[in-house]
Amino acid sequence: MNRGTWLLGRLAQIVPTFVMIGVAVFVLARLLPGDQVSAMLGERASDDTIARMQAQLGLDRSVFVQLLDFLAAAVRGNFGDSMSLRLPVLQVIAERLPVTLALMAIAVVLALSIALPLAFVAALNANRWPDMLIRTIFQIGLSSPVFYIGLLLLTVFAAGLRWFPVGGYGDDWGEHLYHLFLPGLTLSFSFAAVVMRNLRAGILAVLTAEYVDFARAKGLSAGVVLGRHVLRNALIATVTLVGLHVGALLGGAVITETVFAVPGVGRLMIDSILARDYPVIQALTLVLAILVSLAFLLTDLVQMWLDPRVGR
Amino acid sequence: MTAQFLPDRRGFLAMAGGLAAVTLAGTANAAPKRGGKLIYGRYADSQFLDPVLNDNNVDIWVMNSIYDTLLFPTADGTGVQAGLATKWAFTDAGKTLTLTLRAGVKFSDGSPMTAGDVKWSLDRARDPKAGAWNDLIGSIDAVNVAGADSVVLKLKTPDPTILAALATFNTGIMPQKLFEAAAGATPDDKAKAFGEKPVGTGPFMMVEWKRNQVMRLARNPHYWRQGEDGKPLPYLDELEFQIIPDDSTRILKLKAGELHGSEFIPLARVKELQGDKNLRMELWPSTKVTYLSFMVKPKLTNGTDNPLANLKVRQALNYAVNKDGVIAITTLGLGKPMRSFMSSTTPLFDGPAPLYKYDLAKAKALLKEAGFEKGFEVSCMTVAGNQDNLNNLTTVQQMWAAIGVNLKIEPMDNPSLTKRYRAEDFQMRTAAWTNDISDPGQITNYFAYGPTIHALHSGYNDDKLNALYLASQQETDPAKRKAQFKEIQKIYNDAATIVPLYETPYTVAWRKNVTGFVQIPLGNNYFQATSIGA
Repeated sequence: MNRGTWLLGRLAQIVPTFVMIGVAVFVLARLLPGDQVSAMLGERASDDTIARMQAQLGLDRSVFVQLLDFLAAAVRGNFGDSMSLRLPVLQVIAERLPVTLALMAIAVVLALSIALPLAFVAALNANRWPDMLIRTIFQIGLSSPVFYIGLLLLTVFAAGLRWFPVGGYGDDWGEHLYHLFLPGLTLSFSFAAVVMRNLRAGILAVLTAEYVDFARAKGLSAGVVLGRHVLRNALIATVTLVGLHVGALLGGAVITETVFAVPGVGRLMIDSILARDYPVIQALTLVLAILVSLAFLLTDLVQMWLDPRVGR
Repeated sequence: MTAQFLPDRRGFLAMAGGLAAVTLAGTANAAPKRGGKLIYGRYADSQFLDPVLNDNNVDIWVMNSIYDTLLFPTADGTGVQAGLATKWAFTDAGKTLTLTLRAGVKFSDGSPMTAGDVKWSLDRARDPKAGAWNDLIGSIDAVNVAGADSVVLKLKTPDPTILAALATFNTGIMPQKLFEAAAGATPDDKAKAFGEKPVGTGPFMMVEWKRNQVMRLARNPHYWRQGEDGKPLPYLDELEFQIIPDDSTRILKLKAGELHGSEFIPLARVKELQGDKNLRMELWPSTKVTYLSFMVKPKLTNGTDNPLANLKVRQALNYAVNKDGVIAITTLGLGKPMRSFMSSTTPLFDGPAPLYKYDLAKAKALLKEAGFEKGFEVSCMTVAGNQDNLNNLTTVQQMWAAIGVNLKIEPMDNPSLTKRYRAEDFQMRTAAWTNDISDPGQITNYFAYGPTIHALHSGYNDDKLNALYLASQQETDPAKRKAQFKEIQKIYNDAATIVPLYETPYTVAWRKNVTGFVQIPLGNNYFQATSIGA
């Protein structure tokens, strides 16, 4: 099997995944107790008003008919209107997705810039004090709830030192980056901790490998040995971890976006679930599933580049 | 209004001045400063700024910045005053109401407001197929234009609530031509398009709305009301609502000076902010009541007997709750005990004393009389994650343990709770209520009158109370109506179908230099007389 075929195979796997996710999310949304119209109208609406609204939104039809409608429309890229925001779902998602993607990108960049060097320091000083200190700090990062870290950073660096704004998103790209730094940092903590621990273990394992001894014996400089042989091989497992962690990052984004008042898809998801806004829940889950699938695909590709045995 | 909820003196003056446009000449205050952008932190964004089709307080409480009504509520929330109508008079034994429209009023796009706009807006609001609020003006039979400055409402029956209804958000006046010119094929589509950039005669107009992030309003240059300086209101050039769902973040932002004001300060943080020298904490009298409601049907949906069907049991449970204790724990002393099922700010409220003053001996005696001296188990559904509700329930749980009653707490999310509530599949639930209209009719309809929603879906139904309520909805003699509501409140409060816990104020915090904001007991936010000082 050559790499092209392998890639096509991977892509082909994604399509049925999406169909299954589509059906699953439709069913799951409807398994949530409580219906959208009651959630929307609250306790004061009369039964007549509720029945009228259900008819208007097509919720009075059988679930099966609704499912077929949803799938047929989804294939055409039409996800309907948000019931609570009264705007086209795709427009709502398109406005918010870049915010969350930017937030996640900042979190990944920050996490890697923290984790990579520290993993090396920890591994090269294994079980000595720098290693202990780094692992202790990351243990705290890993075990602290995201909202707590967020509020702590807000209190110290935004409200206290006034280095950053207290939440919000700003109006242009400069402001966006400025506003997203603290939430990105918050989100990066637990991620950095996972990457650091994993990479440290990877480096330790690789350091004892025979090809590293061989590289050293060839007389290669320490930098080349670490960069070309140790890092590259230690990264293979870490890359998989980063890919798998995209889902967790999205979960963290839900809380981070709420604490920092960032208008991304994480908050949109929570709001939509609470409002039983079926069209948004469905479309957003599909979009996020596509995103995660693409992240996995990207992970495979990077792994293929790092480890030529993959895809052969 | 009670002394307990009074904002400080400046707040009170602002409240009187803001709504009634009373000049403060003679007070030490100079005329408010004009200009500037006010940034206000809200816990949630609006959803649909259509007076008729909206569903939520997030819309209702800010819509008066954009749309005016024919009449306005008074600052204390108990009466009405001139709005887009300057005069009103009943004839034909209360079945005809003639309103004289204010001359020279313009919409924020500069086009004149006409009697035709008023007729169209009211006809739209009373359409039984439109929205959830049309029954508030269900007594209107026809709206007739009688000349350029006059509109005549023909009523099916005399309606003592009609003036209050004409001061309520759903009767906001909209520009017919602009609405009809909005994009979309159906009226619902047009409403969506119009609601994205609404135009009204109110003090502000929409400039930009990024959902769940920010809403930017600018002063309506055509606004008709005058400020204390004799020039048109509002004082502010811009009003920006920032959406910050997290309470702690909103407060941090206010403390950092990134917000001028913030709504919904948690009661637990009020004292802290009162002690902040840069801030002013305002506690506005509200119509909010917090209570636990009972199912009173003899059988629950699962077929088991319901002890709460017994009046003595319900009264015993009420006597066994030390409301002062609950108020101290959950509201940190900021609430006050309820004297009737409706708030003390509701017109025709009648509450001689706090309901069911704590009396453990009486509670035990009543339970014994009812044959439940060994106690029983009762379950209460509540919205998961709501700390106030949880505090209330765990406190009541301990208090009821003293009479052998075991309270089981069932947390769930709000849609699930609403579904079971509507299906009358519960034994108890936590709840809170605020009025939408300055009249006791609405809350009575929901809480006490049997036919509409079985009295909070409890199954309570009292023929005498029902008859009194129906009579009160057509009684135009204020004294007789007052007597009817006195009796209604007595009957309902004695039936103990709820555990009345407390009334709480609206909590709004401001930077010290901001003055003139008003929140009326119904919850509506008034920014037209708000200004940012030095």
